[in-house]
Amino acid sequence: MTFLKKTDTRSEEQTQTTGLTRRGFALGCGSAAALLALGGTVKVVGSEALCRPPGGQDEDAFIAACIRCDKCLQICPTNVLVPAPLEKGLLNARTPTFNFKLGWCDYCKESHAGVPQCAKVCPTEALKLPEGAKPENVIMGKAYIVKEWCLAWRLKNCRICVDECPYDAIEFNNDGFPVVLLDKCNGCGLCENVCISMISTKIVNNATDRAITVKPTMTVDYLLAKESRSGGRS
Amino acid sequence: MKFIKNIKSKNLRALVIIFISILIIVAGIFNSALSGAGNLSSFGYSLISTVCPLGALEAMMAANTIIPRALLSLGVVVLLMVLVGRAFCAWVCPVPLLQRWFPGYKGKKDHPDNQQKTLDLPQSDSKPAGSGSRGYRIMRSIGFDSRYVVLAGALVSTAAFGFPVFCLVCPVGLVFATIFTIFRLFAFGELTVTLLAFPLILILELVVFRKWCTKICPLGALISLIASVNRFFRINWDKSKCLEVTEGTLCSLCHKACSRENVDPRGKVLATNDLNSCTKCRECVDACPSKAISFPFLPKHKEK
Repeated sequence: MTFLKKTDTRSEEQTQTTGLTRRGFALGCGSAAALLALGGTVKVVGSEALCRPPGGQDEDAFIAACIRCDKCLQICPTNVLVPAPLEKGLLNARTPTFNFKLGWCDYCKESHAGVPQCAKVCPTEALKLPEGAKPENVIMGKAYIVKEWCLAWRLKNCRICVDECPYDAIEFNNDGFPVVLLDKCNGCGLCENVCISMISTKIVNNATDRAITVKPTMTVDYLLAKESRSGGRS
Repeated sequence: MKFIKNIKSKNLRALVIIFISILIIVAGIFNSALSGAGNLSSFGYSLISTVCPLGALEAMMAANTIIPRALLSLGVVVLLMVLVGRAFCAWVCPVPLLQRWFPGYKGKKDHPDNQQKTLDLPQSDSKPAGSGSRGYRIMRSIGFDSRYVVLAGALVSTAAFGFPVFCLVCPVGLVFATIFTIFRLFAFGELTVTLLAFPLILILELVVFRKWCTKICPLGALISLIASVNRFFRINWDKSKCLEVTEGTLCSLCHKACSRENVDPRGKVLATNDLNSCTKCRECVDACPSKAISFPFLPKHKEK
């Protein structure tokens, strides 16, 4: 009989230990509030615009669905896709973006007959190509030339990016300097990949990057507007 | 098989976790052979792939649409859960193993929940899954605890701000992100703040919140919810072998061994919340002096 009595008290105890205690509830609420605060803060702070792989051009839809599974980074045949570092913002960290120093996006033409593998493997359809998507209308970014750092703009005898561009989006203007044709450029990054500035030595001392780089379209628009303003004044 | 049976469950679990982690890392680094295998958030190839159920749910809530591919992978996950239930938490997830390695880890011996827990044979027959109001009964039947509050918070935050919020701080994701960041440092010379920040967030989560798995983890909560579909490898208590039944001794070593989830393997009919909570870690099997507990593939025929 004593055995039975003991069990009675124990079942009371167990109800308390397995159920939601006040302390547990407070901990849960605290953590839930922390997650809400995190979401809100990240949203308010905002994040830097990044070039996204094919199918990730609608940034809001992309960021809503990306679960940072690394599949796209791993399948990329040219290894141009890299995880964005934390410097690009907490929201961007670990999401796929390009490092055109490592390669360029040929839309998987060479390896997979023009079917971008990143969009193919994405498990949450964060990368999703619209109907009729082709390299010419999937705009990942735009090339931008910093004239002071560019060999061709300084000495007029470099034509590597003009020759390499697969979309004929870089040409020489009437004065013989290379310019980007924005309506033809899709941000594939080959120009940045082949640009010889900064590879072994700097062409000018204050250069921090290659002379031609691919940046998100809105960043390039901003830079060009700034350039034309200052150019008009001087 | 005999060799495997001789290893303590704790060490066997560690081996399995390390094996799976190494598989994921190798597949990620030598990506030409197993291209696009992904990390633990979505491991597998193309349509035959698992997906983190929380990540998939968050993605669908944030994108405000049904994502067919995510649903398909979720189907794979549910099928796995039918087979092994909540085993992910004990056999795959690297977090409990890491916690064991951090200094200050408290073994089960000095766990506060570890008072004498004795058998309640008379009640187990007559006690229904719960009593009281309907809401209370539902809460009892899924083993409602603070993890579900965090899960609700994660989902509300995701719906409100339009991106998978928990993914940013998920320790499982951060473990693999840290490893791959270290790999990229050597392979591509990418030196970033990430290298320092991710391990710091990870340590903060695992050392400050020692009870991450049982009190906070919303992924564990979601897995517990899905684990009610589990049909195989369910815990089996052989009454005819149990010392408490045959000899009347106060043993309860199996229940004590389950300090994390507080499952009592001796329930005649296991309550649903026990099934949801059980991670099939086999600590109770190891603890039982008379080998009365097992995890048979098919449920054994119930004794009367």
